[in-house]
Amino acid sequence: MSENNEHQGDGHDGGHHVNYFGIYITLIILFLISVAGPEVGDRFGLHWLTLVTAFGIALVKANLVINNFMHLRWEKKLMKWVLATSVILMLLMVAGISPDVLNHEGRNWQNLAAQAAVERGLGGDDHGEGEGATVAEGAAEAAPAGFSAASSFGTVCATCHGAGGQGDGPAGAALTPPPANFTDPAFWEGRDRDRVVTVIRDGAAAVGGSALMAPWGALYTEEQLEQVADYVMSFRPN
Amino acid sequence: MADTVVDVHHDAHAHDDHHHGPSGIIKYLWSTDHKIIAMQYMFTGMAMGILGGYMAYVFRMQLAFPGISVPGFGQVSPGQYNALITNHGSIMIFWLAMPVLIAAFGNYLIPLMIGADDMVFPRINRLSFQVFFVSVLILLASLFVEGGGFGGAWTSYPPLSSEAEFNLTNLGSTLWLTAVALEFVAFLLGGINFITTLMNARAPGMKAYDIPLVCWMIVIASILFMLSVGPLIAGAVMLLFDQTLNTGFYDPARGGDPILWQHLFWFFGHPEVYVVLLPAIGITIEVIATFSRKKIFGYKMVLYTAVATGVLSFFVWAHHQFIAGIDPRMANVFTITTLLISVPIAEMLFVMIATLYGGSIRFTTPMLWALAFMAEFLIGGVTGIFLGASGADIYFHDTYFVLAHFHYTFFPIAIIGTFCGFTYWFPKMFGKMMNETLGKIHFWGTVIPFNFIFIPLFVLGMGGQHRRIYNFQHFPELAGPEMYNLRQTATIALLVMIAFQLVFFANVIMSMIKGEKAGKNPWKANSLEWTTESPPPHGNWPPDQMPVVYRGPYEYGHPDREEDYWPQDEPA
Amino acid sequence: MGHARPLATSRSATGIPTGRLAVWWILASEVVIFGGLLGVYIMHRLGHPEWAEAASHTQTWVGAINTFVLLTSSFTAVLAHQAAEKGDGKKAAKLLGMTILGALTFLVIKSLEWTNEISHGYTITANTFWSFYYTAAGLHALHVIAGAIIMGVVAFDAYRGRELHRVELIGIYWHFVDVVWIFLFPLLYIAK
Repeated sequence: MSENNEHQGDGHDGGHHVNYFGIYITLIILFLISVAGPEVGDRFGLHWLTLVTAFGIALVKANLVINNFMHLRWEKKLMKWVLATSVILMLLMVAGISPDVLNHEGRNWQNLAAQAAVERGLGGDDHGEGEGATVAEGAAEAAPAGFSAASSFGTVCATCHGAGGQGDGPAGAALTPPPANFTDPAFWEGRDRDRVVTVIRDGAAAVGGSALMAPWGALYTEEQLEQVADYVMSFRPN
Repeated sequence: MADTVVDVHHDAHAHDDHHHGPSGIIKYLWSTDHKIIAMQYMFTGMAMGILGGYMAYVFRMQLAFPGISVPGFGQVSPGQYNALITNHGSIMIFWLAMPVLIAAFGNYLIPLMIGADDMVFPRINRLSFQVFFVSVLILLASLFVEGGGFGGAWTSYPPLSSEAEFNLTNLGSTLWLTAVALEFVAFLLGGINFITTLMNARAPGMKAYDIPLVCWMIVIASILFMLSVGPLIAGAVMLLFDQTLNTGFYDPARGGDPILWQHLFWFFGHPEVYVVLLPAIGITIEVIATFSRKKIFGYKMVLYTAVATGVLSFFVWAHHQFIAGIDPRMANVFTITTLLISVPIAEMLFVMIATLYGGSIRFTTPMLWALAFMAEFLIGGVTGIFLGASGADIYFHDTYFVLAHFHYTFFPIAIIGTFCGFTYWFPKMFGKMMNETLGKIHFWGTVIPFNFIFIPLFVLGMGGQHRRIYNFQHFPELAGPEMYNLRQTATIALLVMIAFQLVFFANVIMSMIKGEKAGKNPWKANSLEWTTESPPPHGNWPPDQMPVVYRGPYEYGHPDREEDYWPQDEPA
Repeated sequence: MGHARPLATSRSATGIPTGRLAVWWILASEVVIFGGLLGVYIMHRLGHPEWAEAASHTQTWVGAINTFVLLTSSFTAVLAHQAAEKGDGKKAAKLLGMTILGALTFLVIKSLEWTNEISHGYTITANTFWSFYYTAAGLHALHVIAGAIIMGVVAFDAYRGRELHRVELIGIYWHFVDVVWIFLFPLLYIAK
């Protein structure tokens, strides 16, 4: 392998005198320690020894390679900063993500205090403090006192079927087939109230019609559904 | 020693003149000239932008007229809707904004503005475009394979993105991810070129603070990109393995964590928006200086705040995850950093305003675009404040408010920024002047409709309209006439805006063919690209006339001079 | 078609030769890629102590031999650089050749190791620990392969006395590949 034995490991790089062979031997010695250390550590249950020798030595070895083989210690400061920045950035990233990812209990985070307050509130104490009671009360207040089929038709149905049920709502203009015109006698041929209820609840596709008429069953109780169907029936010409 | 280098180059250059190599298509496909590579990126990027815009047209038609058979597409199924919005977002960011703002303008301008004859690694430059082009082909392929294009949103959260049984696009999702990964590689390669060229290949006499700001911005953006994309590349490999090898990196049942993907994605995703913002700001600043005939109010201020923005941008990412189940105490930290980051960016806007103040303003088409950038981005920026506050974000997250916010930022960046730079440097790139009248018609026909598209979307978002839903008529609270009318307004405005883009293309073609001949320096600007021919020859300047720099690039309105500008290469 | 090297490439406003400047930036981007992957692995490993059982089946001695191989190859790489500095292209090429041999040895040992592990049922999907193991070591191995190929090209030129400055550059890259393994070894084999 060698021609000039005495100068074998010596480097003269731009005036820097580096003993490459010496560095290499140091690396090998460190490497042997890093393998032996954990063996000793495992045998005697000294986990700190394993970690120190494994990672501590890795750091030292990396340092030796980076500074002496890559000549970073003689490089301009700017590049040292650039590389240090990328390493520090990774450490910061791990620090920022760990609090979240290291919780593997299912949900990543639970607000136990708020949960307890909700449970207290729902538990029946009408004058209870905390978010729980307020949430329960607030929910009760938010629910509207009465249900109006006409009003619901106006919000849900009219955009396609038109306020007058004539199938002329703005959203319906571009549809094929067009939305049903409830004032047209031809529409009611072969259709009855039961079918109206079914279509509102399950969508028109459920009776072989167009999927453009979506199912709305999830919105209404059975009673409300009947009221909306009645409202639709009210457009039928006699 | 400089002479020797020049002589050697001169001989090689003379050699080149006799052996110009194969001409025609081959020359363009294999060229290493930074200007040609820039044009390749520019036109590929713009073509992809047209595709992304077409996708927006289709899905907005579906939203405004649910169930309609969209002219030029057909009926939009829910799966197709998802694929359209996913690819619209991915294309506009990765295949329009980045290639045009960074690769095209960076490649074109950096060597010219620093007085170099090319990038320092021309063949790596060519390789980066070739890798980019392959990524384009793979993305396009993903749209036509069985199952269709990937529909899991540009954010690609697992398990939707990792399990074909959920996303129903087995091939499409893998191809999409591969295309994105290749695009990352292309920009890493390109970035190396920009960074080393700016650092090392400057003209003699050009100190760091004599570099035009747009060059700094593109290089800072490249560094930002490089540092932020690494963990996502690792995460993307993991996602790819989940998709194809059935590993469980993001599967909680097997010890993985889907939230981890969110962190990795947004650790990149947030700096990414500044990766595209900074070059757009750079372009705007160049145009403002030239058409105010005034020095930039605070060159170093802008430079340092750009760096500060870049640094801060690494510490705000979890504001995209406020309601993903993260600890609210962590959310507090990210609220503070997110609100803080608005400061340096506002700072840069103030510098622009201060530069305009007292300037001798010329309302050319590029200047109009620059002013529009400021106004529209301002709206985008302030609406970000609402979203950065974690409490408010509980309501706003995933609504159209977010969408309108980021379009009020991305549109100025990707579209206004592109038009600003393109109309400004068109004379240099093609040797012809663009038609000012057509330019102004196009400008107003783009900017006015833009506001009519997205202001309705702010209102819809505040009204609770959620994102990524293909038919709002299925939701009673959102199906009413007022909401419906807003959606229609937005779509009609989009149609108007699309129509006006034809004016732009007509202008480009007409001007290229019979536009008025542009001299070297039609705008009377100072930076080095205006000292050479329009368009510049191979090598940019004759090898024995490479520029030497004596001052900074913004010496306008000097009291002792007859002319109101002072080119960088004019001896004192 | 000959491409004359641009004037730009020979300039050096920072004082760092352009090629070396580029390699440092490439390393910066590699640090965040590997750092991201290893950071993710560390977080998962800390959060899943139960992976210790799966991890106990990595073969420390095989990893140790590979560590020794890579360290030695770094040594030959830096000696190649030293020879190139002196202008001795042929010697540099031979030392690069030895480095490539080290790379190949590493890859052969790794192939045998993986074949052995897979035949015992420790596949990439066996357990998420193994998924990380193969992904991290695999990404590293890809860089070993790429490095060996580029090194071959550089050695080819160096033997003919051309582009000797590139010996240093490929060396810097190669040392980085070694440094990554210096951290992978304890992570996957020792402190598992």
